[in-house]
Amino acid sequence: MEEIDEKPSRIPKIGDVINYRDFLGEYPIIFGIKIISSLALIYVIVEFYSYHNPLDSLITKYVRGPLPGFKPDPAVFVVWSFIAGFGLYTFTLFKGKYKFFLFLITIFLVVQYITDPALDVQTGEHVIPTRVEIENSEVEGETEWKWKPIRLLYDDVEGTEERMDDTIIRSSNLIFGSIAFLGAFGIWKRKGWAIAGSIALAIILGFLYSPNLCLESSDADFCGYEQKEKEKTWDEYLASGVFIGMGFIIYIELSYAAIKYENYAEQFKPAGLDNSLLTDAQKKGVSRTLRTLFVSYLINLGVMLLITFTLAEVVINVNDYVANSEGRIQDSIELQGPYGIVFTSLIFFMLLGFVRMFVGADYDSEDA
Amino acid sequence: MWSKKAAAVAGGALFLTLAGLIRLNYLFISAGLVMLTFVVLASFLDVWMPSVKIRRETTSDNIFEDGTMSVKFIVKNTGLGLGFVEIYDSLPPQARIIKGSNYTLLYMKPWQEVSFEYTLKLPIRGHYHLGPVKMRVKDAFDLFYNERIEDSIHSFSVFPEVEVLEYQIIKSRAPKLLSGAMPLNVIGTGTEFYSLREFVPGDSLRSVNWKALAKKGKMMVNETVREDVMDVILLVDAREVSAVGGGKDTPLEMSCRGAATYAKQLLDERNNVALMVYGDDVEKVDLDRGEHHLFKILTSLSSISPKGNLKLEIVLKDMLPYIPSGSPIILFSSLDDDHTISEAFTNTIARGYTITTISPSSLDFEEKMKRIPAEPLLVARMERENMVSEIRSFGMDVGDWRSDESVNTVLQGG
Repeated sequence: MEEIDEKPSRIPKIGDVINYRDFLGEYPIIFGIKIISSLALIYVIVEFYSYHNPLDSLITKYVRGPLPGFKPDPAVFVVWSFIAGFGLYTFTLFKGKYKFFLFLITIFLVVQYITDPALDVQTGEHVIPTRVEIENSEVEGETEWKWKPIRLLYDDVEGTEERMDDTIIRSSNLIFGSIAFLGAFGIWKRKGWAIAGSIALAIILGFLYSPNLCLESSDADFCGYEQKEKEKTWDEYLASGVFIGMGFIIYIELSYAAIKYENYAEQFKPAGLDNSLLTDAQKKGVSRTLRTLFVSYLINLGVMLLITFTLAEVVINVNDYVANSEGRIQDSIELQGPYGIVFTSLIFFMLLGFVRMFVGADYDSEDA
Repeated sequence: MWSKKAAAVAGGALFLTLAGLIRLNYLFISAGLVMLTFVVLASFLDVWMPSVKIRRETTSDNIFEDGTMSVKFIVKNTGLGLGFVEIYDSLPPQARIIKGSNYTLLYMKPWQEVSFEYTLKLPIRGHYHLGPVKMRVKDAFDLFYNERIEDSIHSFSVFPEVEVLEYQIIKSRAPKLLSGAMPLNVIGTGTEFYSLREFVPGDSLRSVNWKALAKKGKMMVNETVREDVMDVILLVDAREVSAVGGGKDTPLEMSCRGAATYAKQLLDERNNVALMVYGDDVEKVDLDRGEHHLFKILTSLSSISPKGNLKLEIVLKDMLPYIPSGSPIILFSSLDDDHTISEAFTNTIARGYTITTISPSSLDFEEKMKRIPAEPLLVARMERENMVSEIRSFGMDVGDWRSDESVNTVLQGG
């Protein structure tokens, strides 16, 4: 019997180039959770920046010193930062040398884009006198002066500098886009620290926000509004804060759910078995369990959010009612201010704590 | 109990609220309060804690050093609750997991039985136990959890490593009534060749050496060494000084391995073996034989820990009256920090006992751990060599056991 040697294909298998399974996941439901988490992230950030104009941030004020063209626009940087975070995740999926090649290609393309105008080579019509050898001369090596056309380099240094500035300004948008960047990376790469980092950054960025700060340091053209924006009423702010708070909860819960359910799926595998060794029936079983769990989780989350929203609204309305009704409470404390709402909330938490004494789980393991 | 996530969310919410108060930012305040409300409401959720029955199935009750043990952990939900349970089976710190995991997350339905497996490796002798089992259950949002410790303990022993010896260990002059495989230094019926002698009437024709007859022209017969059952005493030095080095590289660990190997060999040859361990006092496993006795000796060896500083002379003075006369004694000791060794040997030999010494060199460990400078090391080596020579001068066997050698080579060199 003659052995037939199969020549290995020169085209590498896609599995050897990129770990696409990591992207798709073992189960469609986990892929779905990641997509929902990503949408929640985008929603939270868009909502966040609709109340926190980046132009009114202290960051913008100080970054505009070295970078006068710095003008962060949420409509642009939210999406692009998310894409950048997702791109970083995609980059990590490439394997071995392909990752290195991709890195080189990226560097090359960026450098090529920046330096392209400066290195633009063109042929000119100019001629310059040059000493050339006389053909058929009797004396060997005799030379004479002649006019000879030459090539000239036309470099557009300004074009390169413009592109460099443009690249820096685009990159600097990541200061505000870091929430989306880290969030996207955390959701898809299943990194808890990145998700926590994105939330921490959102809090820090929010803290550096000062209403109408832009007009103090920049002109009306830059800021996009000529006079100070009308302040929203305190209950308008409170209501919008409720949505942002709930947005954060949804984002945190869903992004962690993606990690959690992926871990659960790992645990469902029989000990020491790879997922590829599971039978179709076993895979369907795991998928079914995950789906049941996730639906139950979503119902839990939905109910909890509804109760949270209702309670928050009740507290705000109670505060509003007490603040506006005539009486001794209204006379003794300024309930319409920020301290008022915190005071009302503290009373509310105290009541909840009282109820908690008699209702709910007991975390003392001995008694449990 | 609060999870890290709950602490982070609540901490972030409080920071938002306080930052809102400092900056007079309603947005921060309300977002913080909403998050705080969510955490407080989540604390109302009941965290299910299962009622379970736990059992373990292991491949063996006891293992030898560097041996592996597969553990199948089986847990049955005996209640009506259902949900996820994190289970962590506590292991001894010396254990290394080579396959599977001692931690798992299980989804349990009422009356469901689930299991997971892992394989352990234990590099050093001793008595260990698996368990207790820690169980943790979280709420739907992983904000609060409940923990319980189940006192499910599975004890097991790790015996010292046993090598297969390729030679007869020792010879005795004290025969017993039952015949066995141990050669005595007396001529008798056996299988091991001793010498040739001329044929005398009454000799069996079976013992005639026909080759010698052809060569010398007269009848010659083979004499063999008599094989008999003996009483052998294994004496292990477990003083504090025997713990020099670290981990498996200590004279005591080597002594235990040596004693286990010799005990196995001697008992396989149907001899009676006793084990005596001295440190702060003397512990004994009395003379006996058989598989069950080997188990007793190995268990005793697993329990040894270095302590005390009892001198050999005192030990032998106390023990010799209880040792059958003429029985060989095998001493496992690094011979360190004992000025009574010469005297102990003299007294013992004078009473008609033989002592074979297996001496793991503690200097190798000191050198390996770079605790001893070159010059003192050289002096210490010379002192040790003198000690070994002195014992050899009594006509006794001494095996100078280097740390990288196997038990098999110890007495072959000496």
